[in-house]
Amino acid sequence: MNLRQRLVPYWLLGPGLLWLVVFFVVPMYFMGELALRSGSLTTGYTFSWEWANFPDSLSGHTEQILRSFFYAGAATVLALLIAYPLAYAIAFRAGRFRLLLLFAVIAPFFTTYLIRTLAWKTILSDSSPLVGVLQTLQLVPEDGRVLATSGAVIAGLTYNFLPFMILPLYANLERLDLRLIEAAKDLYSSSRQAFLRVTLPLTMPGIIAGVLLTFIPAFGDYINAQLLGGTQQAMVGNVIQSLYLNQRDYPEAAALSFLMMALILVVVSLYIRFAGTGAFMGDEDEARG
Amino acid sequence: MRPEAPNRKSGLGLAAAVIALVLALGLAACGGDTVGGGGSSEDATTAKGGPVEGKLAISNWPGYIDPGKGGTVAEFEGETGVDVDYIEDVNDNETFFGKLQPQLEQGDSGGRSIFVVTDWMAKQMWDLGYLQEIDHNDLPTVFQNLVPTLESPSFDPERQFSVPWQSGMTGIWVDTAKAPDIRSVNDLFDPKYKGQVTMLTEMRDSVPLVMKSEGVDPEEATNEDWLKAIDRVKAAADSGQIRRFTGNDYTEDLTAGNIVAAIGWSGDASIVENENAEWRMPTEGCVLWSDNMVIPVGAPNTPAALGWMEFSYEPEVAADLTEYITYVSPVDGVQDLLRKSDPQLAKDPLVFPTEEFQRNCSTQDSPPDVEPVNEAWQEVVTG
Amino acid sequence: MAAPARAWAWLRRNALPLYAGLAVAYMLIPIVVIAVFSFGATPKGKLTFGLDHGFTTEYWTSAFSLPELNDALLTSIQLAALSTAIATVLGTLLALALVRHRFHGRRAANLLIVIPMATPEGVIGAALLSMFIYSSVALGFSTLLIAHVMFSISFVVVVVRSRLIGFDRHLEEAAADLGATPLTTFRTVTLPLLAPGVVAAALLAFALSIDDFVISNFNSGTTVTFPLYVYGASLRGVPVQVNALATMLFVASVIGIVLVLWQQRRAERMATRLDPVPAT
Repeated sequence: MNLRQRLVPYWLLGPGLLWLVVFFVVPMYFMGELALRSGSLTTGYTFSWEWANFPDSLSGHTEQILRSFFYAGAATVLALLIAYPLAYAIAFRAGRFRLLLLFAVIAPFFTTYLIRTLAWKTILSDSSPLVGVLQTLQLVPEDGRVLATSGAVIAGLTYNFLPFMILPLYANLERLDLRLIEAAKDLYSSSRQAFLRVTLPLTMPGIIAGVLLTFIPAFGDYINAQLLGGTQQAMVGNVIQSLYLNQRDYPEAAALSFLMMALILVVVSLYIRFAGTGAFMGDEDEARG
Repeated sequence: MRPEAPNRKSGLGLAAAVIALVLALGLAACGGDTVGGGGSSEDATTAKGGPVEGKLAISNWPGYIDPGKGGTVAEFEGETGVDVDYIEDVNDNETFFGKLQPQLEQGDSGGRSIFVVTDWMAKQMWDLGYLQEIDHNDLPTVFQNLVPTLESPSFDPERQFSVPWQSGMTGIWVDTAKAPDIRSVNDLFDPKYKGQVTMLTEMRDSVPLVMKSEGVDPEEATNEDWLKAIDRVKAAADSGQIRRFTGNDYTEDLTAGNIVAAIGWSGDASIVENENAEWRMPTEGCVLWSDNMVIPVGAPNTPAALGWMEFSYEPEVAADLTEYITYVSPVDGVQDLLRKSDPQLAKDPLVFPTEEFQRNCSTQDSPPDVEPVNEAWQEVVTG
Repeated sequence: MAAPARAWAWLRRNALPLYAGLAVAYMLIPIVVIAVFSFGATPKGKLTFGLDHGFTTEYWTSAFSLPELNDALLTSIQLAALSTAIATVLGTLLALALVRHRFHGRRAANLLIVIPMATPEGVIGAALLSMFIYSSVALGFSTLLIAHVMFSISFVVVVVRSRLIGFDRHLEEAAADLGATPLTTFRTVTLPLLAPGVVAAALLAFALSIDDFVISNFNSGTTVTFPLYVYGASLRGVPVQVNALATMLFVASVIGIVLVLWQQRRAERMATRLDPVPAT
């Protein structure tokens, strides 16, 4: 290969990677730098190696951090439970309607995130028929409400991130070779055993991808908490937004954002260690290092 | 395919990157540089007068203008030929300020020539050097028609940088069909209404009302008084007594029937779609505030901005505005005009409050030491 | 078999499709609600999601009567179009490099592309804001564009990559055998065959941009995009026209996707008709 041919990949990589470096990596550096400053709007923010910002923001907002873990976790589990059978049905039982169903599943994406969350706010409002039905079924206490509770926030998160769970699951399930299940059955395993020992392990990459793609944005979300929650449902995202835009305490906001990202990177790197970045991007050939 | 380059090289690359980062941080520290830090009002420029023409962009609160072809904006455009871009993006003083602050810091007003913000925010912007001074000689109509009570407010005694747009009162909105007995802010803490009341996110509206309900005068209150009231609100929020903290959207909750009472603003009748809901003056009194037109630094068309201010202070124009938005007008003579065209409105105490009606009310004020109080409040409000 | 037993058996056989139907219905509920309530009359023109005031089409006929709303929508569409164009180009080039070429730092490149997808929007938005604050850059359309391109690139790479991986290289080799230069091959063979993947990636980037709220909220300054407008409006009463427009957007996207899919199907059918010999 001559020099010109060797340089081709770098020309291809250059623009895209440069954009990412300048507008993703560099901002992260600036955010880190901002996190080490102290001061306020009136006095200006001076760089002073203020490492204290990190433990301070952690201890000051432990409640919201834990709550975010809980909400995002619950939403992810629910989404998995809802999405898996659905993805399975679309992959194997849909026949002609497969594309149509897939589309129906992504369809919510095409209404603005805010509008569909606002729609839920109305569907779940105290005097709505749906809540009335839930009260009759005793799922909600007679004088209780759905809005402005943790339940509403988790329901909103589940709904909004469901497509992120369905698509990786579906992509993975679609490649599943049904003959393997047939073989298992030929070997006298029951449907349940076949599922647990053949299907589930084979679809694990899809499950992991779906879980990550759902949990991570859900963890950082604040819209659902703001529109569907009350005074006790604030998540980390709400705090960060308030610190940046309302209190203008940029150093603490930056420190908290950094911590949040660090927490998530820990989770992601564990996964990458386990399965390789290729698998995360859906390419099994690159999996396992 | 050739095997990938050995891990050692990637490791070296990573190490190099980390070292570079640390060096860069170190340089920044050595510089000891400070970012931000606002200016001061001492070097404020004066807004230039001149012929009224061109384009004018105004940022205002929602529900603060009479819209359409017969509305104030259209009339102004017709009379002066100015092309007005009327933007309703002020939903909350803090949030509006937060979004604009980086630009104002650079002397850039985001294309706007007028903001409409509440008293204390106007002062905050002025103190940081983000506003231009206003020459009274450019505004004869304004200062001729300005009601005497607003001529010399505590936050801007000489009206150097602000011209009132509208005034209003913060009190309690009540759904009279479901909770007819609510007449005081204390009633909002009644467990009977648990989870069915909301308060405003605006600290200078909610907390003074709570203080008043405990017998504390907000104008004389100490930081401890503020913090004590905030604690009381926090306890109510934690226990679920308060359902939410809202901006203008308490009107939605009222309409949807999610709440029976809310701390809210007197003129919002045009947004609330619930026939049973009405604004009530709390027994301990309300909070009085004004929203003011200010001219920011870097305003592209100050003559047109001044022209708009002049125009809005003509009694006929002000009367049309009041008829639609039902807030308290700062322009003298509006009530007389309305006595002929809309006598019902001319008698409405919410639009033309008498001194008697407002006898217990306090003007909006800030705590003596804002930062710790604001921090405590933000924690309660964010959850 | 007795009737209940038969019904039970039928249920068990069709449990999965039934469930799928229910799940899909659940996903579409808000869309239906939005569409239905865009026809509800309200005395003050603000959305109340209640039909007690009657049915009306006035919000559809006056859908474009709010200048602020129109401006916001226009801004969003412009932003999405531009950012899609840039991100698709950059991302496709990246994907080609990753799949077709060998080079040092492949792992690092992979990581750099994957990490933005794994970062919460709030963090990305805040970090960008930090940089803009520090470098005293004015927030507005350009900062929004920068942000939108940034978060779209990764998704474009993923989509185009998966298309490239399943690519049949024999056609390119055949073109080379027939004397075509690499550039010509790329232009006349690779690119057209890659097109569906690129189009899909572009659609995804467009959807992501037009729907983005969090990152835009941090970096827009005073520029208003459609989601930002809705957010501001939600704090004071959403005009019903928003619902009409949202439904319109939705229907337009549906039509767009259907057209693309139909076009694809036609192309495939024509290809098999022209080439009756099955590929080996």
